[in-house]
Amino acid sequence: MGTILSELSAGIAQTVEITLASFVVAAVLGLPLAVLRRSGSWWVRLPAVVVVEVLRAVPPIVWLFLIYYSLGSTDQVRLTTFQAAVIGLGLIYAAHLSEAYRAGLDAVPAGQWEATRALALPRAQTYARVILPQALVVVVPPMATFAIALLKDSAIASVIGATDITFHAVQLTQQDLNGLGNFTVAGLLYIALGVPFALVARAADRVLSRRLVGV
Amino acid sequence: MKYDDHPVVRPLLALDGVCVAYRHHEVVHDVSLEVASGEVVALIGPSGAGKSSLLRAINFLEPPSKGRIVLDGAEVGGSRRSLDALRREVGMVFQNFNLFPHLTALQNVMLAPVHTLGIPPAQARERAMQQLTHVGLADHAHVKPGKCSGGQQQRIAIARALAMEPKVMLFDEPTSALDPELGAEVLATMRALAAEGMTMVVVTHEMHFAEDVADRVVFMADGRIVEENAAGKLMRDPQHPRTQRFLNAVRNR
Repeated sequence: MGTILSELSAGIAQTVEITLASFVVAAVLGLPLAVLRRSGSWWVRLPAVVVVEVLRAVPPIVWLFLIYYSLGSTDQVRLTTFQAAVIGLGLIYAAHLSEAYRAGLDAVPAGQWEATRALALPRAQTYARVILPQALVVVVPPMATFAIALLKDSAIASVIGATDITFHAVQLTQQDLNGLGNFTVAGLLYIALGVPFALVARAADRVLSRRLVGV
Repeated sequence: MKYDDHPVVRPLLALDGVCVAYRHHEVVHDVSLEVASGEVVALIGPSGAGKSSLLRAINFLEPPSKGRIVLDGAEVGGSRRSLDALRREVGMVFQNFNLFPHLTALQNVMLAPVHTLGIPPAQARERAMQQLTHVGLADHAHVKPGKCSGGQQQRIAIARALAMEPKVMLFDEPTSALDPELGAEVLATMRALAAEGMTMVVVTHEMHFAEDVADRVVFMADGRIVEENAAGKLMRDPQHPRTQRFLNAVRNR
């Protein structure tokens, strides 16, 4: 058990890095997707809808292969397995997160938008100062759920050769044939890594709700 | 309308043949109304008469489906720039306050002066404090709306609109969401504002306010102006049977 753990720990850093980097990509790209999907003009809305639906319709593992074997192995571009995994998972989760953002934006009452319009507040300030701070409270809990799902999905990066926990478990099993032991430890590692995400999310949720209600 | 030929009597705000429609259902039909500088106009009438829709058409929260809005001689166009220019000059107070719940009273009042008008924050803060003092809430500057009473919230909302130094203030049933006692403090604030010479258009169910504070009362029903007159005259001696019926019903409640 101890030796398995020390073997697999070599992959912890990679798993965490893929998860965090993909989450940042998803969190940044998800917001414009959500804003575009709420546009009043269909020609703005349509491309965003298509992008989101296509990203979600294709299995993550297929996306990773597609990205790795296209962008990853041309003469001009040569992505590392880490980069390919972050791009793939980041885009897929951007689509998922855009739905969470959209729900958050929808939850802000119409009166808030009206007040900003009556004050002629510029659009960027309307989002930054009024709408997003209120939407965020609604978005944080589902975001945490997505972060944990992303942590688990990051395991598929091992199939394109990213050296994460799962990759090391597969390697080790090929040597010692102790699949049950190795993957049990791998599973426990994922559970352990998920706990901090859940705790951070709960704390963020508490702080944000309190900020909204006010002191 | 040739306002330019008569600069002396030019109204500050003019609505000319304004219609408001939701989808294809028209709720305000061909309303024309002029408001002079410093005048207080009360819009009264039964629910569904189109009073709020008309008021919201003035600053294009409901863009008029037909007709023109002219503010201080300039016709408002449909472009974002033209709308923003109008909205900078027209303050709006909502029935449900629509304060920003995550910001303190002071931040609520400062926000638009800083980000819409581009006033330096230190100066905007001073201006915001003045307006909060004006509505009697300087001591609530650092409190969030959730901790204030409804009446206080509405007065913060009035301060927020005043901080833009508008030419006209629009009030959309500002006391309807408040119990009578809290409504009274809001009405007192509005009364003081009127006494200072602010031009105001007020949709209201407060008949005493309409009679005592407004210079002119406009009675609307079914999306049209039925009757308008000097406040005292219309309230005491309505000419149109529809107005008589409404005022009788309201008074005998």
